[in-house]
Amino acid sequence: MTAERRGLRWLLASLALQNLGRRKARSFLLIAAVAVASGVVFTGATLMRSIDRSMAVGFTRMGADMMVVPEGALTNITAALLTVEPTDLVLDADLFAKAQLTSVSRAAPQKIARVEHSGIGSHHESADLIGFDPALDFTIQPWLVEKLNRDLQPGDVILGAGREAPLGSQLLIFGKPHTVYGRLGKTGVGTHERGVFMAFGTLDALAMSMGGHGGGSPPAVLQPGKVSGFLVELAPGAAPLQARFAILSTLKGVKVVTGDSTMSGIRQGLAALLDGILALMVLMFASTALMICVLFSAIVTERRGELGLLKAIGARRSQIVGMMVIEAVIATGIGGALGVVLGTLVMRFYERSLVYYLENVGVPFLWLDTPRMVAVAVGAIVLATIIGALGALYPAWRASRSDPYDLVRGEG
Amino acid sequence: MLSCLGLRKDYVTERGAVAAVAGIDLQVAAGRFAAIIGRSGSGKSSLMAMIGGLSRPSAGSVVVNGTDIWDLTENELAAFRNRRIGYVFQFASLLPTLRLIDNVALPAMLSRGPGRNGDAGDTYARASALLAQMGLGDHLDAYPSEVSAGEQRRAVIARALINDPAMILADEPTSDLDEQTEIEIMDELLAVNRERGTTLILVTHNLALAEQAEQIIHIARGEIVE
Repeated sequence: MTAERRGLRWLLASLALQNLGRRKARSFLLIAAVAVASGVVFTGATLMRSIDRSMAVGFTRMGADMMVVPEGALTNITAALLTVEPTDLVLDADLFAKAQLTSVSRAAPQKIARVEHSGIGSHHESADLIGFDPALDFTIQPWLVEKLNRDLQPGDVILGAGREAPLGSQLLIFGKPHTVYGRLGKTGVGTHERGVFMAFGTLDALAMSMGGHGGGSPPAVLQPGKVSGFLVELAPGAAPLQARFAILSTLKGVKVVTGDSTMSGIRQGLAALLDGILALMVLMFASTALMICVLFSAIVTERRGELGLLKAIGARRSQIVGMMVIEAVIATGIGGALGVVLGTLVMRFYERSLVYYLENVGVPFLWLDTPRMVAVAVGAIVLATIIGALGALYPAWRASRSDPYDLVRGEG
Repeated sequence: MLSCLGLRKDYVTERGAVAAVAGIDLQVAAGRFAAIIGRSGSGKSSLMAMIGGLSRPSAGSVVVNGTDIWDLTENELAAFRNRRIGYVFQFASLLPTLRLIDNVALPAMLSRGPGRNGDAGDTYARASALLAQMGLGDHLDAYPSEVSAGEQRRAVIARALINDPAMILADEPTSDLDEQTEIEIMDELLAVNRERGTTLILVTHNLALAEQAEQIIHIARGEIVE
């Protein structure tokens, strides 16, 4: 396609593109510098968001500040993963409703039953069936990444991110058909990744089937009015210690589980580190913008004659500025795209070591989901082009103000 | 009709202001061939630049067909340069990264502006015809570096004619060319003047060339001398 058919915009864009090709080494270095800056921003932003998300999930157990379980229950508080092991110990489902604690904003009851031979997964695979009250829940439903276009109904199940089944398909649990209503995103919480979630009524309805298959009585938690524990969200302004004291003094036979202080320290340390990385990224982009500004000042000086000629034959100031800015945008856009590719490779390279380290300190590592990662990539490229446009704008604007004759004589 | 009144151009140097053009009055009738002559540094190129809207005067006016071009807005002045004036500079003034045909078509494309691409084909057809008229019909797709200096200068004349201007300003257009090519280029410019009725103002220090003009303006130290 040529200018004969495309017109002025194409002609000016092609002029900008060919100008880049005139000094290949310089253009390559410019693109490389922008690629490094964009790569750092893309990688940094992606890792920061992923680490932040992972910490938030791991530390708060999917939005809860603490967990209240029966006093003798086994809880797994390795690092930030607050998971309660399925047990026969139970609490009354209306415990918090009766207590009316001012330091508690919300308390979501859950039933957890670990079952075998349920028909889920392979023959001997044990599965965690997790019941919740859809009206009180604030830790499960927000994680739905896909669901049927209707409300949750009796007989519906929600699958953890680690389980695969099409929405709307039938899943047999203890021989009873259930509809796959939705699937959770990756939470990083072990029991939830392969868990099967359902409303209390749906879980309670399985009680007899479980007993039949196991040959014994169904788990105690499946008795009506009983739950395995509560996920608690504190009231605004309530201190965790104050809430803990209020719960233990008001409710008998319970244990309050929160993250440990080591994790708090790690989280705070990582948060400070992420702030530092963010500041470095801002500085890096600012220095890239200055570099582009200096470079384009030199380019404009080098091309004064041509710019003067363009003005002499009738180019308007906006066209002169536009041509220089397009040139910068093309270079920095290419640099930005290469930076994203570079950043992706770097993240792949570091994935194992970084993830391994974080999981060792108890932080489940959750990569940003694909749409968000694409958004960050597009953001990095757009940012690079904006930096390029801003960097070229001032020198181009200055040149466009000069008289054509001064530019032609090399004085503009 | 071109009319200059009290035209002055001062340059500020470390030693103070220097008058390149020190208050010139002149008139050139439409369709004439005028030559501005003078020694190097006499101010003839500065005068030409002010007449052509390329350099803002320190004082005075340049009136073309009743309009003082230095009273025009930035965009109006750009349009004036684009549509009313054709420039032939003393240096090779083609954009090196564009083909000859793109260089010639560029002023017409600029005047049409973006978004009105329907006539781009016509513009290129006209550019092609002009290049053929200048004997460059076989070099439409050539880049400036691929043709001789004389051919480049012919392409510049073609570019100057693309918008059918009222006035051609040629600033020592043959100073770097051999004698034979100089004659050919001058023949082309004179043909434009005679056949199209386009006003031709030629800056030169070649008296033999100037003698072909209908009007000779002799400049010395920024002033017209008899």
